[in-house]
Amino acid sequence: MSLLTVKELTKSYQSGKVAVDYLSFTLNKGECLGLVGESGCGKSTLARCLLRIEPINSGSIYFNNEPIESLNGRQLYSYRKKLQIVFQNPLAALNPKLKIKDSLVDPYLEYAKELNLSYFSFTSKAAFVKQLLEAVELPSSLADRYPHEISGGQQQRVTIARAISIEPELIVLDEPTASLDVISQRAVLTLLTELRETLNLSYLFISHDLAAVNQMCQRILVMKEGHLIDEFNRRDLFDNERHAYTKELISIY
Amino acid sequence: MILSMEQVSIRSGEKKIIDNVPFSIDKGEWFALVGQSGSGKSILSRAIGQLLPKNFQVEGKILLNEEDLCSLSPKQMRTIRGQTLSYIFQDYQGTFTPFRTIGQHLEEYQKVHGNLDTRQRKIKSIEALHSVGLDEAFYSSYPFQLSGGQLQRASIAIALLLSPDLLIADEITTALDSVSGHRILELLAKKQKEIGCTILFITHDWRHVRRYADRIAIMKDGVIVESGGKHRILDHPKHAYTKQLIHATPILGKGLLSGLQEVGKE
Repeated sequence: MSLLTVKELTKSYQSGKVAVDYLSFTLNKGECLGLVGESGCGKSTLARCLLRIEPINSGSIYFNNEPIESLNGRQLYSYRKKLQIVFQNPLAALNPKLKIKDSLVDPYLEYAKELNLSYFSFTSKAAFVKQLLEAVELPSSLADRYPHEISGGQQQRVTIARAISIEPELIVLDEPTASLDVISQRAVLTLLTELRETLNLSYLFISHDLAAVNQMCQRILVMKEGHLIDEFNRRDLFDNERHAYTKELISIY
Repeated sequence: MILSMEQVSIRSGEKKIIDNVPFSIDKGEWFALVGQSGSGKSILSRAIGQLLPKNFQVEGKILLNEEDLCSLSPKQMRTIRGQTLSYIFQDYQGTFTPFRTIGQHLEEYQKVHGNLDTRQRKIKSIEALHSVGLDEAFYSSYPFQLSGGQLQRASIAIALLLSPDLLIADEITTALDSVSGHRILELLAKKQKEIGCTILFITHDWRHVRRYADRIAIMKDGVIVESGGKHRILDHPKHAYTKQLIHATPILGKGLLSGLQEVGKE
């Protein structure tokens, strides 16, 4: 069943640069879809369009068969309850003046009236924060710290905990491990896969690292200069029919 | 042997950051120093060129071409840095002075090391840009006008301008995407063949190590836990930490990590 369908999406900036050019794909419920491409190919612009942070020029985006490009402010509010994002730079994504526990409960407090959580349960703020930190394998002593007092890997786990706190249907992961070293990277990727299975989430995993994408995802899209040039199942990665650019990416590893 | 470290320890106040590190690098090889963030690999590499702030105390001997760098005066160090020893850093934006053109950087580098002929300097600068795949137009560009990959190419051009004996490349591809990073390293490998310089390559990415390195040392919390040839380390790691690091890296395909064929098999 398709959760997200993107049809003929085009986005250009005022400078005239076409960042995303006539892109179409679908993301099924429960899957992790990988999106690979080098810097400047339009991956992050696509993510911003999906979140409606960035207006699009033409085309359409369907979430649960509902078009989202025409949603008004109120409708967007409930749309964003189902869609969360984890960015590359966790320190920029966390409010430096809020303690970890305050950042963690922020989305919940925003949506408290409409939420019906199945995995987590909100009895008190402290208990909820503890559950979230446990889910991402962090000690509960971190709750009273500020973002700059914890390591990069821990910060990224906090932003992941925050994203899953309202149990969204889809999480966009925009280079979530690019700023981490290998060991933290491995741990975060394993954690994400476990969370996807336990919480029945779907991911759009954006990265320039084909090997990491291959480890995480069932299906992979390859983007170059705004175009979608290749789309395949993970097991067909080494297939001879792959696009020349995909082969070039494979040869790097 | 071009560089050798004998019982090097570095402390900042009470804290020991590098503990009794020995290693040596042979002429012309590509030596990889691998470790996690915070393991002390960058501090160690900076100690070689005496780039550390004053509050770090370096003990032991660092021999470059049989000469103990720790005993040299700041003035002698200045002639060595750039000419015999050069650096490329991870932060390509911090490498360049924002209000000077790429050309001015190349010029200054030569002027400081005694090339006083203006015309010759410009010819050499442009040649250097060509050799890293940048055309003449970049000579008068400012750093912010270049992409990350282009800036890193310019860094290579500058670092290799005076044909140093030892080049220290500190996480030079970490801030780039995998495609640009790959092209930068291909370029560096090609230049190494031409010039014959030795490279101390600091990284946490095994995929680069297995493609380019000759020998490898693994560092953890300021101590070298294991070192040896590429085949030995990648295919038969002994230390638990090395195994953990290798295991953590996502790779594509199968077979031995070093890319060599297993003996006795097809």
